[in-house]
Amino acid sequence: MQRRDHQLIEELLSASVLGALEPEEHAVLDREMAAHGPHCDECLELRRDYGEVAGRLAFALEPTALRPGFEDETVRLARGAPADTVVQIPSRKDHSRIWRGLGAVAAALVLFAGGWLARDLGGGGDSATAVLPSRVISFHGTGGNLSVAFEPGTPGLYLLGSDLPAPPSGKVYEVWMIQGGTPVRGACFRPSPNGSLFTFLNAELGTTQAMAVTVEPSSCSSAPTSEPILTASITQA
Amino acid sequence: MATDLSEVHDRELLTRIRTGDEEAFRGLFRRYAPNAMALARRVVRQPFLAEEIVQEAFLALWRNPTAYDQERGSVRSWLLGTVHHRAVDAVRREESQRRRAEGAVSAEASEPDFSETVAVELDAPEERRAVRTALEELPPEQREVIELMYFEGLSQSTIAERLSLPLGTVKSRTLLGMRRLRAALIGMER
Repeated sequence: MQRRDHQLIEELLSASVLGALEPEEHAVLDREMAAHGPHCDECLELRRDYGEVAGRLAFALEPTALRPGFEDETVRLARGAPADTVVQIPSRKDHSRIWRGLGAVAAALVLFAGGWLARDLGGGGDSATAVLPSRVISFHGTGGNLSVAFEPGTPGLYLLGSDLPAPPSGKVYEVWMIQGGTPVRGACFRPSPNGSLFTFLNAELGTTQAMAVTVEPSSCSSAPTSEPILTASITQA
Repeated sequence: MATDLSEVHDRELLTRIRTGDEEAFRGLFRRYAPNAMALARRVVRQPFLAEEIVQEAFLALWRNPTAYDQERGSVRSWLLGTVHHRAVDAVRREESQRRRAEGAVSAEASEPDFSETVAVELDAPEERRAVRTALEELPPEQREVIELMYFEGLSQSTIAERLSLPLGTVKSRTLLGMRRLRAALIGMER
């Protein structure tokens, strides 16, 4: 029986696991593997070993800590629930203080949050731990309802939205913080299918005078490439 | 060996995930999502896109845990290989080096870095040391092409163009480098 040469398979496999083959080279690899048959021990060993090497290369990098809530969000999606984060409702005694601070702009928030707010209050909100931010500012424009909620002097802010149209295919919304007249990247987001949004942004408003939302390519942009569809004045609020 | 114990634990988690065990899913997520995120961010250079890639990879695992075939290697390599594959696909789809370069600068400037506070229960420092050592011991020209492929998501032909090298040279450097990594990372366990 003729001994098969594994040089070409090894060459292609070792590049394939690094993601470095062109489509036509993948086809050659598939053809060669097929020619060797499904029980080619050396082929299987090469595939396993080089796959293992590629997987291990990821450990050369320092791990990146995940943003708060990312794990829960992923688990919720795994369960088949919508991706939107459910706000933790503070204890009853905090409600009046919090809602007093919201003013008229809270209406949009209440509309968005009403469903689970009623549910959680009815079910005993004392078990919850977080406190809602004391300031909520609405965006103005033509792209649905969006508000930003934050606690002055505390890092992090929430974006809350409703009736947000889905961005065009291959596009996302990107939120910008205007500081000294320059837009600083905030985050990219897509609303849920029903047009709602609740997401945490790990950013500091700092000297932000205004915020804006533009439609950008799904890879996100480093600078706005379109006119804002929503804007909010932060300093005058 | 710590790595073997780690793999035993991973397979146990995967077995439980097959029964719909959410805690097991969280367990695997906590072990590998920080590494997966580092890898995805390195390749796509866009934190938002990287999150999407990592999330999709773990959701795919949850929905179809039987996709893992232990004959093809460890759980962690399979999982991170999946993330890498998705990240490279995303880079190829976007096909815009200019945007990536701009995004990289901006992302580094504006995205919070939690790496100081991350806690990884895996015996990752040992693993990291082994992988970094193996990479450092490669001849520079071999390391360069492997890093461009793996961490930048470039194809061999793109690297040949970028480095003004014959494609055959890039291919031979890749093969020689990968053989050395195989010997260093896999050979030592046998």
